[in-house]
Amino acid sequence: MEIPHEVTPRRDTGLYNAKLGVWLFLASEVMLFGGLFSAYIFLRVGIQDGVDNPWPWGLNVHKDFVWLGFINTLVLIASSVGVVFAWVALKERNWKLYQVYMYAVIGCAVIFMCLKGIEYNSKLNHHFGIKLKDNSVMEGELVNKTDRIRFEGATASVSLQGAVPVFIKSIPKGEFPIFKVTEGPGSEEGVEIHSDSELKAWFHKERRAISAKLTEERKRYRAELASGVANPTPVSVSSSAKLTSSEPFVLNANPRKVVLHSDSVVNFKDGSKVEGKLISDDVEFIVHEVDLQLVLPQKQRESIVWDVINDEGAKQQFFEQQDAEYRHLREYYEPRGEVIPEKMLRGHILNLHDVHLGGHHGDDHGDDHHDAVHKSEPKPSAEGAHEEAAHEHEDDHSISVPRDQIKFMGNHGPRYGNYYAIYFTMTALHGLHVIGGALVLLFFTVFGKKLYLKNPEHLANRIEVGGLFWHFVDLIWIFLFPLMYLL
Amino acid sequence: MSAATAETHDQAQEEHHHVEPFWKKYIFSTDHKTIGIQYGFTSLVFLAFGFFLMMVMRWSIAYPDRAVPLLADWPWFQAWLDDSGKVTGDLYNMFGAMHGTIMVFLGIVPLAFGAFGNYVTPLQIGAPDMAFPRLNMASYWLYLLGGVLMFVSFFLPSGAAKAGWTNYSPLATTTDIHYGDLFWTGQTQWLVAMALLITSSLLGAVNFICTIINLRCRGMSWMRLPFFVWAMLVTGFLLLLAFPPLEVAAIMQLMDRMAGTSFFVPTGLNVSGMSFDAAGGGSPLLYQHLFWFLAHPEVYVLILPALAIVAEIIPCNTRKPLWGYKTMVYAVMVLGFLAFIVWAHHMYITGMGPAISTFFQTTTVLISVPSVILITSLLISMWGGSIRFNVPMLFATAFIPMFGIGGLTGLPLAFSLPDLHLHDTYYVIAHFHYVVAPGTIFGLFAGIYHWYPKLTGRMMSTRLGHLHFWPSLLFMNGIFAPMFIQGMAGFHRRAFDGGKAYEQISTQIFAEPNTFLANIAEILNVIEPDAALRMIDLNIVTSGSAWLLAVFQVPFIINLFISKFVGKKVSSDNPWDATTLEWATPTPPPHGNFLSEPVAYRGPYEYSVPGEASDFCPQFEDDPSKIPAKSEAGKEGDKPAV
Amino acid sequence: MAESTHDWGKHKKSYLIVFGALCFCTCLTLALGIFAPFDLGPPGPTPADFVIGLAVACFKASLVGLIFMHLNHERGLIYKLLVFTFLFSLGLMALTLFAGADPILEQYDTLESTKGKLMEKL
Repeated sequence: MEIPHEVTPRRDTGLYNAKLGVWLFLASEVMLFGGLFSAYIFLRVGIQDGVDNPWPWGLNVHKDFVWLGFINTLVLIASSVGVVFAWVALKERNWKLYQVYMYAVIGCAVIFMCLKGIEYNSKLNHHFGIKLKDNSVMEGELVNKTDRIRFEGATASVSLQGAVPVFIKSIPKGEFPIFKVTEGPGSEEGVEIHSDSELKAWFHKERRAISAKLTEERKRYRAELASGVANPTPVSVSSSAKLTSSEPFVLNANPRKVVLHSDSVVNFKDGSKVEGKLISDDVEFIVHEVDLQLVLPQKQRESIVWDVINDEGAKQQFFEQQDAEYRHLREYYEPRGEVIPEKMLRGHILNLHDVHLGGHHGDDHGDDHHDAVHKSEPKPSAEGAHEEAAHEHEDDHSISVPRDQIKFMGNHGPRYGNYYAIYFTMTALHGLHVIGGALVLLFFTVFGKKLYLKNPEHLANRIEVGGLFWHFVDLIWIFLFPLMYLL
Repeated sequence: MSAATAETHDQAQEEHHHVEPFWKKYIFSTDHKTIGIQYGFTSLVFLAFGFFLMMVMRWSIAYPDRAVPLLADWPWFQAWLDDSGKVTGDLYNMFGAMHGTIMVFLGIVPLAFGAFGNYVTPLQIGAPDMAFPRLNMASYWLYLLGGVLMFVSFFLPSGAAKAGWTNYSPLATTTDIHYGDLFWTGQTQWLVAMALLITSSLLGAVNFICTIINLRCRGMSWMRLPFFVWAMLVTGFLLLLAFPPLEVAAIMQLMDRMAGTSFFVPTGLNVSGMSFDAAGGGSPLLYQHLFWFLAHPEVYVLILPALAIVAEIIPCNTRKPLWGYKTMVYAVMVLGFLAFIVWAHHMYITGMGPAISTFFQTTTVLISVPSVILITSLLISMWGGSIRFNVPMLFATAFIPMFGIGGLTGLPLAFSLPDLHLHDTYYVIAHFHYVVAPGTIFGLFAGIYHWYPKLTGRMMSTRLGHLHFWPSLLFMNGIFAPMFIQGMAGFHRRAFDGGKAYEQISTQIFAEPNTFLANIAEILNVIEPDAALRMIDLNIVTSGSAWLLAVFQVPFIINLFISKFVGKKVSSDNPWDATTLEWATPTPPPHGNFLSEPVAYRGPYEYSVPGEASDFCPQFEDDPSKIPAKSEAGKEGDKPAV
Repeated sequence: MAESTHDWGKHKKSYLIVFGALCFCTCLTLALGIFAPFDLGPPGPTPADFVIGLAVACFKASLVGLIFMHLNHERGLIYKLLVFTFLFSLGLMALTLFAGADPILEQYDTLESTKGKLMEKL
């Protein structure tokens, strides 16, 4: 059995099956990215000034990422050209040349993904933001790259229902204490637990036992109800258990898994809780920038961010710089006889500022001021890299941010705001398309020889179809680049 | 080639028979017919499962204060019941969400599009297989994987998804958020499974459209395509272009749950009294837009294949051409187009302004025009025919009024004002179930009875067929008709205790003199004080009908399996004396379908052509005089048996 | 396309020209975003920036579509497919946006404020 029109186009439609198929697939891809772009527009247009996180834009936010994006655009365009040339080489029956072009295309894909990786790494590992209770934002880095509530545990209460309690993941490796079951099933026998795998096994065993007991009890209760007993004994099966450690154990709890904590207890979100003593829940942080966009201009000087940073020099520097930028705005608006829109004052100028803390401040002040004024002009970003390198030297001074002052915090990953969410979703999805397309093209390059000898036209068709997909991937990036980096 | 000589086919079948290992022939098969049957069985299993979920829900609605019978002792089940064995709100929500999801995405779409589309479309256009057989297999396995994930999610500690089949954010984003392992919660698995199902549907849609456009046999011009193929083409486009936005929504909700983004999480969201730990700034409405952009075309994905099956069966059994074939083709295209711009009529109460709401009201009312053209054409097709009321025809005939009721009761919902009152009440449930349950499912049953002889070479039992049809018709209406009344009385669809709360409130309202409602009731003298109570009694009618409906599916299941072995053998390849190309193949069709290259000589519905000796002129016969006299099965089918 | 007699040199030349044009447009987009004379209006993205930035992107996209993806050689079928696809994706964007921009609440707000103004006058 042979499927018609696998290689030769059908007369009335002028298409062979695979080409029609890939165009249909691309149509659905257009809808896929169309959906994402409409989400982009909807979310961006829907931002309420002063309430939602502002949309970060422009060179001074995205810094050297713009250049990575720019290079990536060129790389993808080059690879698109490579694919059409490989196709032409096949049409001219030039196998060698075909392979050269195809490997070049795949090389481009690798370069693209590497640059993407650099960008992701920088965003995820080297950028962190903390939004305080009054919506002021500090940007910088965490001291140990991770944020943990440090706690000294004595007893743990778990519910023997649902999934394995999450608190065991907070105990550092190799520091698992010896737990003794003091309440709940197994307490009479004095069961001891020495490792997390033992704990899991114990948990599953007791959970099954409790669920069996509950079944029995409920059966009894229903039978009593059915037989018309006046006051049937209600079902009571306790599923709680308490584990007591022989000596205090270290607990480094991930704050995202914790609902509430106090000086003596940490409540995890799955209901398990650990009692003991709080060591510290402050966030150790290195401040690079302060962002007061969400604070009303008249309240900026009293913002709690200054209490947290506790550095008069930095504050002074911040407002000097703000004045400089206001000046710049006035230079644009006043000659036109317009008033600076409120949105501009809030939304854009206060976007990012460099503050420098501690002893370095005095020495570098002049230099910084120059930098700040310079910054208000749009400037080529080659200096961006230099600037960041400068931070590394200057900001070895860290501060402690009390956790009860924090409203929200996170690295510049997808969690950090809608820009980052849509940025990561779209570029990751695009990246998956790049990887998928490159793998298919690699397959045609490495294993194409047999088909080439049998029916070169068939291979050329495959390259054309693979190329159509590849061009589409390029096409999506053409839109992503300005929307994600520039506008 | 003659269509009706059985012995030559046996010979030929042997020639064409390739010895393939069992697993390749029946499990990892690339043959469109095997895949169609796989789709069919899997989706029937899921339909039965979805029905089971609904029966448990109906118990809770009809008898909210009694323990669930039979199931309460099963350990998994009792964990979700309360101590006295009653259904809890959590269980009801879980079953409600999964009933909708399973019925729509795992039951009807795969049965209508996957099973019938796969089996019949290539045969009707005279193609040897789908354009991409391996892709076809991939879509089935992706579908199965998605279905298994959905099923497995019931047995996770969190249970399956609970946020309704629409999975609206932020409820769906925050449901079960306290579980340690967020990935293995039912709510997250729903999204993963949906992404798989959507991918499967997309691949399927590409395959179908490509097959129909590029693999039509010689002579099969566009206007000679059977209407079923047209419907499949439009359905394919609906899936192709409407599903990706839902995939986007699923991906974004998955990001919201797993990566902590806030696409659909507004600023300042509080969950159980605590501030929700997310950046905020998202929009729950965005989810609804993306969801309904798919889910409205999805309605037409559900109905079009069934309607097209009916459009195949009616001309065949009335021995008359399909009335207004061309009009129907254009209507279905217009329907497909309009389906993309009506979605926000599901969202009138989200606070849309009058301007945009007017736009959607207009398009919604517009889309009823092609729908009515389709249904009217089917009705007129029967006018003046000598109708053979065999089992498929019975189902096809019942389809028309049932779909009609479902469609017409949708009109009040198209306007925002009545919709404000009816939104999320049982009225809405009754409306779309009339379209989908006695509508689509009857169409699909008709299709099963109609094409069964082609699949197996044996007829299904007429006696059991009648035992299946009449009670089903009765109880389908017994389920959904009372819901209209309840819905207009304001019963909310998510009340898991069947409106017990409503009962208390309403008796209070009506009992207290001089309240606004009581006054109105008095003045109009329409609503008697205990009206609300009697509305609640209708719950029992509905639930009882549902369980009896389940009982009367048993004859169908028996019929489906035993007819393969004991059913009456067909005496020709074309037992119904039909005209379309699938009846030109041997029975059952071998791998590659046709023995010689098929050619379409005429239009698809040339029944009772004046001046011809036979009352049907198949597409595959170039000279009608060669057509043999009516086959035996056809003669028997003439009489409305039993 | 006739295979043996085809002049592939011409094709290659057109591909190279398109490559040059795409690179040039990319630089233009970049300049729009970052250099003062190209960055229209007040600092930051203005409607003019969006229009020009996206127009350039559309131009680039159509070059890729027409030349690299051979749309200039295709027949009507694919155009029909694409026209409907773009129509629907634009519909998705536009209608979603309009529905967001036309909330019933705003009407209510204006009503309230009108009422307020009337009361002031009285």
